[in-house]
Amino acid sequence: MESLQNVLAGFAVVLEPTNLLYCLVGVVIGMLIGVLPGLGPAATIAILLPLTYGVEPVTAIIMLAGIFYGAQYGGTITSVLLRLPGEASSVVTVLDGHALARQGRAGTALGVAAVGSFVGGTVAIIGLTFLAPLVAGFALDFGPPEYTALALLGILLVSTIASGARVKALIAAAIGLLLATIGRDAFTGAERFTFDNLSMADGIDFVPVAMGLFGLGEILYNLEERHRAVHAPGKIANVWPSRKDLKESSGAVTRGSVLGFFLGILPGGGATIASMAAYAAEKKRAKDPSRFGKGAIEGVAGPETANNAAATSSFIPLLTLGIPANATMALMFGALLIQGITPGPQLVTEHPELFWGVVNSMYIGNVLLLIMSIPLVGVFVRILRVRAAILAPVTALITMIGAYTINNSVFDVLLVVVFGAVGYLMKKFGFEPGPLVLAFVLGSLLESSLRRSLLMFDGSAAGFFTRPISATLLVVFVVVAVLPLVRSVRERRAAQNPAQDRSAQDRSAQDRSAQNREEESV
Amino acid sequence: MTTLAPRTLRTRRVLLGAGAAFAALTLAACGGNVAGGADAAGADFPTGPVTITVGQDAGGSTDLIARAVADGMAEDLGVSVPVVNRAGANGALATEEVAAKPADGHELILLNASLITITPLAVSDDEAVSLDDLEVLAGLSQDDYVLLASADSGFETFDDLKQASGDVTYGTTGVGTGSQLAQAVLFAQAEVEGTAVPFDSGSPALTAVVGDQVQVATVQLGEAKSQIDAGNVVPLLAFSAERNQFLPDVPTAVEEGYDVPVSQYRAVAAPKGLPEDVRTRLVESIDAAIATETYRSFNENNLLTPHEISGEEVTAEWTELAEKYQALTDEYDISLAEG
Repeated sequence: MESLQNVLAGFAVVLEPTNLLYCLVGVVIGMLIGVLPGLGPAATIAILLPLTYGVEPVTAIIMLAGIFYGAQYGGTITSVLLRLPGEASSVVTVLDGHALARQGRAGTALGVAAVGSFVGGTVAIIGLTFLAPLVAGFALDFGPPEYTALALLGILLVSTIASGARVKALIAAAIGLLLATIGRDAFTGAERFTFDNLSMADGIDFVPVAMGLFGLGEILYNLEERHRAVHAPGKIANVWPSRKDLKESSGAVTRGSVLGFFLGILPGGGATIASMAAYAAEKKRAKDPSRFGKGAIEGVAGPETANNAAATSSFIPLLTLGIPANATMALMFGALLIQGITPGPQLVTEHPELFWGVVNSMYIGNVLLLIMSIPLVGVFVRILRVRAAILAPVTALITMIGAYTINNSVFDVLLVVVFGAVGYLMKKFGFEPGPLVLAFVLGSLLESSLRRSLLMFDGSAAGFFTRPISATLLVVFVVVAVLPLVRSVRERRAAQNPAQDRSAQDRSAQDRSAQNREEESV
Repeated sequence: MTTLAPRTLRTRRVLLGAGAAFAALTLAACGGNVAGGADAAGADFPTGPVTITVGQDAGGSTDLIARAVADGMAEDLGVSVPVVNRAGANGALATEEVAAKPADGHELILLNASLITITPLAVSDDEAVSLDDLEVLAGLSQDDYVLLASADSGFETFDDLKQASGDVTYGTTGVGTGSQLAQAVLFAQAEVEGTAVPFDSGSPALTAVVGDQVQVATVQLGEAKSQIDAGNVVPLLAFSAERNQFLPDVPTAVEEGYDVPVSQYRAVAAPKGLPEDVRTRLVESIDAAIATETYRSFNENNLLTPHEISGEEVTAEWTELAEKYQALTDEYDISLAEG
């Protein structure tokens, strides 16, 4: 009963005019940056973080969350119309979305995507409403050993499932782990890599690192990329999907909601992976897979639903355990810390108004987005005409001021500049900053939890396997780590014996697809 | 919206002050040595905002205390008293910065006693902070530490804990904190064998003891009170010298025969070399601030025991405590830097 009261009180929080306004501002910004290719939600949140210092914590997170899921709606528009994905999570939408647009059915694609996003988002919020308090109920069983296992798993998943080259992601994650060791050893007081500089005694602050890598790094990189001019698209007719379209895509929307929801919860999961997995799943299920890539409506509905569901459900690990599942959540983590709230197991009980306020704001945000995205598509497309020469300096300036005001520290501003340069170079050479940032955040958690656990177990590592939650997580860790190795060994063996008989080849092909499926379900 | 009115008032006062200062300057420039009477004690002070730097993040108890005092001081001084958070190295960073600022009374710092009395036992000499470069203006309050047992541990009293000697794990709020020192010394005196598990601050240490990840932990009362009241943790001992007014039924370690008085004290300080009249004026405004009803109820709400003593007394007390802790750790061969 108490929880029901809290849920209702959460609605009261959302309906306060300020919060409603910030929710609207958040989703509009999200939609805008979703349309702009390059500038992703992580970068935008890094840049806009300073705007939230002055407002209440719940208001701040409502706005930032709005940016995140709003971007999932916006990203679709350019994918469909211009074959130019606004977000990484809308990359697969290009395949069938743009094909539909060329057949003159752009409106249908956009309409189905908006409806799918709405359904996916709403399903995930309902899931969040019921699942998060359940997870939080287990939170007290999460001691140092469980956090150790979870952090390990998170770092592994982030660096192996991330989009892009696996080796590069692992390198980035390793650098993140190294950066996390800077600062005073929390167990002995010894100083590590601080060069006798008091500013580094507590280690490097996470927020300037993220602002540099995502904010400044993206801005610099985009300046280079934007030289390729974008042609504004023509008119779009008939955005309302027909009943037939909706019927055709209803299966894809349902599957996308469920798939997205679960992939979003996993550390290292998130909107991009969810959208790719949903596309693969739709293609695999289809009676005629050859339609895909030529304008199959399921190819738009599935991924667009899944990315929105995942964007929402990735709040679960952050708000219940204090573990950010992806780079954007790592920034939310930072935003909460700035507000003096440490996300963790006690958040739901200690700050119910924050938790339920944010969750319930998503219902309203999704309705707002649905209303905006169908009739206002044309307006948002015009945003593409803003020149980078105006956008870039303004955003860079906001980032710098923001970095200074967190801690009144010039050192932090220098950090942003350094990591901005690092982020630019990383992007240029094909390294994703995501694994670095997450490994950096999870690295200190991993180190301190591991050492704490070993103190609790009197130095014996066996303790990790006697506790059910940590043992399960570690088994999952081993499976995830070993599977790709097994597969590559098998593939090599298959390549070495090309004279194998056909049935053996068939079998190995079956194995492979079984493994593929397993990996997707991870 | 409510803060708008006093702020405009403050701004007006600043403007008035600035105007007066300008007039005085003009007079001085004309060669007329008009001012200079004995009654001018601190008359030129303050000439602008008085900043209180806090070495901890916004929202923590140190920060809240600074803000409560700042409100009252602003009212009394007639200028704005902004609180600036400059977190880092337990507060050493902020202290070093303020100590290096001009001693004109416009730059103050809110000190935690542990930074002076306990942290130097755990960190390198470069990072250790002493009172040598500072002038303490006034002591404010005392925040007591309580030893808590998890409900699942079955401990009701400290004697129960003593029976379990050997496999006790105890949570601390970090290296070089009062929580670590108090438990290390207490367990050494009571001959309890245990393993310290340091957490990053009070809140995770408390969560760990509520979830029975560690059997006992010591945190500040203000953080633990709601969990104590909810029955999720059992208070075994308080580390204050006398019984805490908010926990009248909980014995102190001193009562039980252990010589470990550890509390967190807070005080306001300025860079060394403050002009006498400025110092007097500042102490006056701090006194005015802590006498207000708002400040009194702030202490009450945050379970802080007033410990309002003069700057000299603070310096003497903290120096004595630092020596005592040093002697205790030497006597029982405790090293805070070894976890």
